[in-house]
This record gives sequence, structure tokens and C-alpha cells, in this order.
Amino acid sequence: MRETYGRLLPEMRLADLGGKLIVIEGTDGAGRSTQIDLLKPWLEELGHAVVDTGMTRSPLAGEGIRRAKEGNNLGRVTQALFYATDFVDRLENEIVPALRAGFIVLTDRYIYSLMARAIVRGMDPRWIRSIYSVALKPDAVFYLRLGIDQLLPRVVFSRGFDYWESGMDLYPGHDMFDSFCSYQAALLTEFDRLSAEFNFQMVDAAADARTVCAHLQQNILHLLERDSRKNFISRLYNDSTIAPQSTDAALFAVAVPAATPSTNGNGNGHHHHAAHPSR
Amino acid sequence: MEIGSGVRIGPFEVFAPLQPAVSMVRHYGEHHFPGRLIVVEGIDGSGKSTQLSLLHKWLESKGYGVVFSEWNSSPLVKDTTKHGKKKKLLTPATFSLIHSTDFADRTERSILPLLKAGAVVLCDRYIYTAFARDVARGMDRAWVRDLYGFAVKPAIAFYFRVPLETAINRLLDGRDGFKFYEAGMDLNLADDSVESFRLFQGRILSEYEKMIPEFGLTVVDATLPIEIQQMQVRQIVKAHLDKAKELRVQA
Repeated sequence: MRETYGRLLPEMRLADLGGKLIVIEGTDGAGRSTQIDLLKPWLEELGHAVVDTGMTRSPLAGEGIRRAKEGNNLGRVTQALFYATDFVDRLENEIVPALRAGFIVLTDRYIYSLMARAIVRGMDPRWIRSIYSVALKPDAVFYLRLGIDQLLPRVVFSRGFDYWESGMDLYPGHDMFDSFCSYQAALLTEFDRLSAEFNFQMVDAAADARTVCAHLQQNILHLLERDSRKNFISRLYNDSTIAPQSTDAALFAVAVPAATPSTNGNGNGHHHHAAHPSR
Repeated sequence: MEIGSGVRIGPFEVFAPLQPAVSMVRHYGEHHFPGRLIVVEGIDGSGKSTQLSLLHKWLESKGYGVVFSEWNSSPLVKDTTKHGKKKKLLTPATFSLIHSTDFADRTERSILPLLKAGAVVLCDRYIYTAFARDVARGMDRAWVRDLYGFAVKPAIAFYFRVPLETAINRLLDGRDGFKFYEAGMDLNLADDSVESFRLFQGRILSEYEKMIPEFGLTVVDATLPIEIQQMQVRQIVKAHLDKAKELRVQA
């Protein structure tokens, strides 16, 4: 049974949330969206239905947050709560229904980024934790970690400095560069602290995108092999005439090892490779 | 990094949301502000807004610097709330959160700075409105109280107590029915908006009753004539402000 971080929203039933909630976390410029763009079609090829979501994409508050950030008068408490509104709207109307329908939910950032940003801005960590105690515990959190030295060139030589990514609301006296360094360093420190508390799986984001993706894929396959629905899928194999080598093999690539649980050791992450040539 | 002050004032932990993480943490509390915060609470139709506006005029005539702040009025947030209500996007949780966002903006933008500047700040509805409504919508009591942990504790919180039927009669005098969220229609308590309003506001009333001792609300009998209520309100406010002479604007 799925759990929250302590409190339950009204009418949120935790039973039958059969899908998987996979979080891609990391600071600005760590390559989160690149990875999600690679993972989504890959999972769909394997036959999984995927929903991807991310900050400020809620129909309720996304537009309001974007408008508020255009000005220079978005306060820190207001900012934290506006993002919480956006998050909970997506949690209730997007993430939970998708999980209930058996989807894999790939989320670009989750409560951890929101907590880190708020804490760095001086919010009481207990306050922000209490707000997000209503969030679902994800099945996995992949933290794309990038040191400040590696982060800088990515930002400088691509899109340039952004007011909010540079924490200019925090350090108004600084120039963008100094502010960016102070702010991102503070965020990294906070992320490292959250990492231990919330069991992040650390991924070295300094590697090239393909290497990072291969690493993520391996871990996601491992996660899917432990799918609670594997019993159902294994029954499907045993009761039907579908042979594992049929053209459907790719679809069930992840579940194939589960069909023969007696022969499975811990290293069954290799099995899916056998299914790939069928495409 | 300094985070949180650990100082509690009443039910609230007071921390320093406006301070950069790198600078010293300041403790906000009623006794640190030169200004005074006075709020009115009660269900729709209790007459609290009428009383507040009479108080406002009186304070101004006495020479105080008075500023008024209304529930759900942040220029940064109210469009989102309106959008959510119009499209019926709001659940109890997001209803609660978007209102707290609005309140946060008003706190950061006006209530806090004005109290620091020595103003008398009058609020039509305050955190107790959120506590009553959100809990009536099924939100966790402790969660909602935590959510508003950044709020400034008011010097006086008036609660205008009125029986449900009196309030409904006052409200229906001017119109046919109630708005969707106002009547708690999102909770599917009843098909008819008046009946839904009755059930929903009944829950809210019982939350208010619990909060009287919890937060030390000052109860005013809102069935009394307007003039009598206003006299009581002014007496209480006067007694409080006399202790704060520095508030007087020197002409």
C-alpha cells in the first residue's frame, strides 16, 4: 500500500495506486528534462503508459505563478505556497489518477526541490515539511547531482543567467554571477541533506546524457521488476498460450523474469535485453 | 544557515520569512511591532464587515494611521483563485492552499511592513476563517494551523457570533441564492444552494466555537443592534490602543 509523508488529503484513497511514481530531481541545469525526454519514449516502447509532469504545469496555478514571477514582488512565503498549490493540484488531479490507472508517472522535480528552495529562502524546515506531508512517497527518487563547477558552464554557455535560478530575490545586492553561485551552492547543500533523509539514488549528472540515461534505465527496470502486478502478469503467461518469444515479448520484457520466479536470483536485470532484438 | 527562530507566540511559531538565509534571524511578534493588528471574524451575514468599517472611520477620526486589508484580495494571487472558482478546479486542499498563498502575499506585502511602520491594520477575515472553512471541508486541523504558521498574531480578534438562521435571512434578503464555493457546493452536502449553505455554515460555526478558547477570540453578540455592538468594539479597541500611545498620528 502506498504511503504519504504523514498526512492524508480528504478523499485521497491510497489503495489501488498501482502505477509507479518516479522522481527525477536535481538542480537547475542538471539535465532533468533531457532525461525525461529520453525515458518516456523508452518506457512506452516497453509497453508502459507514461505521464510526465513538472513544476508550474497545473491548470490551476501554473499561469498565476508565471505571471507572479514576471514582476519583482513575489515574496518568499507567497512563492513557497503558490508552488505548493501548483503541486497539490497536480498531485490530486494528475499524479494520483494516473497511478490509479496503472501509469508510470515521471515527474520533473518533486517536493524536494520545493523544500530546498523554501529552506534556502529562510523558511522553517518544519513548516515546509508539514505542508508537504500530504505528498505521496515515490517509488524512486533519482537525484541528478552536478557540482557548482560543472553547473556553471552549462548555464553560462547555454541560456544565460535567470533571475530566479540565480536567487536574485535572495541576494539583491549581488550581480547575477555571484548570486547564482551563492544560491546554487546553498541549494546543493540542502539537496545533499535531503538526499540522506529521503533516500535519493544519486546519479552523477556530469556524465554525458546517454550514460546518465543508461544508468537510469537500469535502475528503473530493476524497480519495475519488483512491480506488485508481476503476479498478474506471470499468471497471464502461465494461463495463456502467449509464448515469451512472441512479438509481444517486448511489451512484457520487464515482466518476463517474473514468469519464472523460482529461477530468479537478484541479478535478473539482464533478462530484458533478450527481448529487445524482437523490435 | 540560520533557519527558524524556535520562538512561539500563542499557537504560532514565529520565524523570519522575510530575512535572507544569510542574514541574522529576526523575531517577529506582536510586541516587536509598533503597529497593531485588529481582525474581525464570523460567518457571512454576521455583520462583521459593517462593524469593521465603522471602527475604521472612528479610528481615522481619532488620528490613527489605519489600513484595511480584505480576505482574498492579493493582486498577485486573486486572479488564480477566481480562475479556480470559475472553472471549479478547487478541491478542499487547493482551496486551502490558494487562500493561504493570497494571505501570504498580503502578509509579506502589506500587513508586516505596515505593522512595522506603526499602522493600525484592520483585517476583514483572518486565519481563523481559513481554519474554520478548511476544516469544514475536511482538511486536517493541525495541517491547516501549520500552514498559517507565518501569520502575525493579532492584538484583538473579534468574533461576531450569530445564529445560522439570522445570518441566512440577512443574506437572502438581498439575493436569490449562494455562490458555489460559498455554499460549500463542492462538498455535495445538498443539491439546493441554500440547504448546502446551511449545512456548510453550520460546520463552520462549530469550528468557530472551538476556536474561541483555543485562540482567545473576543466574542461579540452579533444579534444586538449595530450601535451597541460598535460601542462594545470601540471600548475594547480603545482600552488596547490607550496602552500604545505611539500610534497616534501627530497632526
